[in-house]
Amino acid sequence: MKSKIKYQNNANNFNFSSNETWSSFIKNLKLFFSKKLNIFSFSLVIFLIFIAIFAPFLSPHQYDMVNPSNALAPPSLEHLMGTDTTGRDIFSRALHGTTTSLSLALTTIIFGLITGVSLGAIAGYFVGIVDEIIMRIVDVFMSIPGVILALAMVAILGPEPIYLILALSIRRIIQFARVTRGVVLSIKELDYISACHALGMSHLRIIFIHVLPNCIGPIIVLSTVLIGNVILMESTLSFLGLGIQEPTPSWGTMIAKGNEFLTFAPWVSVAPGIFLFTTMIAFNLFGDGIRDHLDPKDKVTT
Amino acid sequence: MFLKVFLRRLFTFLPTILGIATFAFILGHATPGDPAYAALGIDLEGYSGVDQEEVERVRKELGLDKPILIQYVHWIWNALQGDFGRSYVNDYVVMDAVIEALPNTLYLLGLTMLTAIIIGVSIGMISAVFQGTAGDLIARLISIIGVSTPVFWFALILILIFAYNLDWFPIGGVVEEFGPKALVLPVASIALHPAALIARMTRSSMLEVLSHDMIRTATSKGLFRSRIFFVHALRNAINPVITVIGFQTGNLVGGAVAIEVIFTIRGMGELLITAIHDKDILVMQCAILVIGVSFAVINLIVDMIYILIDPRIRL
Repeated sequence: MKSKIKYQNNANNFNFSSNETWSSFIKNLKLFFSKKLNIFSFSLVIFLIFIAIFAPFLSPHQYDMVNPSNALAPPSLEHLMGTDTTGRDIFSRALHGTTTSLSLALTTIIFGLITGVSLGAIAGYFVGIVDEIIMRIVDVFMSIPGVILALAMVAILGPEPIYLILALSIRRIIQFARVTRGVVLSIKELDYISACHALGMSHLRIIFIHVLPNCIGPIIVLSTVLIGNVILMESTLSFLGLGIQEPTPSWGTMIAKGNEFLTFAPWVSVAPGIFLFTTMIAFNLFGDGIRDHLDPKDKVTT
Repeated sequence: MFLKVFLRRLFTFLPTILGIATFAFILGHATPGDPAYAALGIDLEGYSGVDQEEVERVRKELGLDKPILIQYVHWIWNALQGDFGRSYVNDYVVMDAVIEALPNTLYLLGLTMLTAIIIGVSIGMISAVFQGTAGDLIARLISIIGVSTPVFWFALILILIFAYNLDWFPIGGVVEEFGPKALVLPVASIALHPAALIARMTRSSMLEVLSHDMIRTATSKGLFRSRIFFVHALRNAINPVITVIGFQTGNLVGGAVAIEVIFTIRGMGELLITAIHDKDILVMQCAILVIGVSFAVINLIVDMIYILIDPRIRL
């Protein structure tokens, strides 16, 4: 019980505005890394980010170098994970796939966060008709399964990366908006907000400077939890042929390609899947760790 | 009391349905390409040999010359009667295709959910009964692995092992063709994710319930441990599990799309993907609407079950 109270304090103190909270932030970090599983997942995430950034230097071959005479070659020292139908090195492509997946996921999360938090803050702050309209729209989008929604968006917009980000982030926008709205609704009733009003501050200033910092904890939790989600959804879309298009390397597309050759060239599908699986493990473990740390009562649901 | 809650929930349910229908309608109009051209079987708008009169005639026939609001009302009215027109691309009545596909998906998902609940609750119960640091770690690892495994990749691995190498199950998932065995691999692939989550949820809520006083009372009364676990504890621990099930239906549908494509099951997901690839707008609209509505209905049912089981919750 004691630890729970401690955690809750941590969640409330998540505010970078003064030196005192900064030191409590450091303490927070130390507490987070006192768990071995958190150290493990964090190192794995850092490692993946490292791969994503330095993929061109790490990969033994050029990811788009076609060599038809060496198509569907089994894994060997030369090609660690074999080659695909056009003789491209799967290991190099999978390394570059990390860049594709992570950058897409990160952009999606950032875009979803900015839009969703703003919408949620507006909805929660100006209760009434604005809130009602925003929340009704949110309800509609929540009632369409995430992948189906993204598929529909891709069908409208086409599978360009920028549209893909838009399609993937619709759901995130909604999730961020809901969480932010919840926190804002509870914060705006507090006395210090009334004091802000009495001081004649503008609504924008109150929202962004005095209300939103309280949402940082839940928003961090949600972002880390959602990254794995976005990566999975992107690869699902790519697998279905509606996500990242060739020749850009993407795990989903690579796995889909191997589907036809599963009997005699299983590595084409299996190898990129190992990357995807590891990435999912890393981000899910990390997200879980962050959630347990900042939000032990599971307030943020995904 | 229940009726009142139900009606209140229905009050938010109906606008949602209308919203989904609106989304499907907008989807049809925002998708690039002119439906009139599509109906004539012409691929590109810039095609030179088009008989403009013919196009105008088709446009009138489809009601595309009317104001968009009238088209909207018209579309909703037709949708209410289950009339979604004929597919331009493949010449069939859209509703027929959906009626054929929907049961397949519902059957697949129902079976998956059942499997996931049975496996998840059992694993969760076992790990809660044998709690300890090792059990804790294993339960956590199982759930993380389950949640992190991409459904479509897992399905391919299962096919590789159990269909190609061991030859236990067929590669396709069509029951009429291969018998009930055909559903084992698809169900196993989709069930992994929800089973892992349910296991974890069951475990944590069981652990919480087991620390309650009533369990101590039951123990001191001399009841059998099994009775305490299955009757006293599980009944109280099952609520969060139902919530997870409600949350999971959406993810399940997403997983099912890829699985239907892999195992060539003619379900809603496969129908939608084919429609998107073919730019078959009418089928797309209908599929989105039907999937959205079924999903909303399932959520409504889960909410109602939740209230029936736990009278403390009155939304």
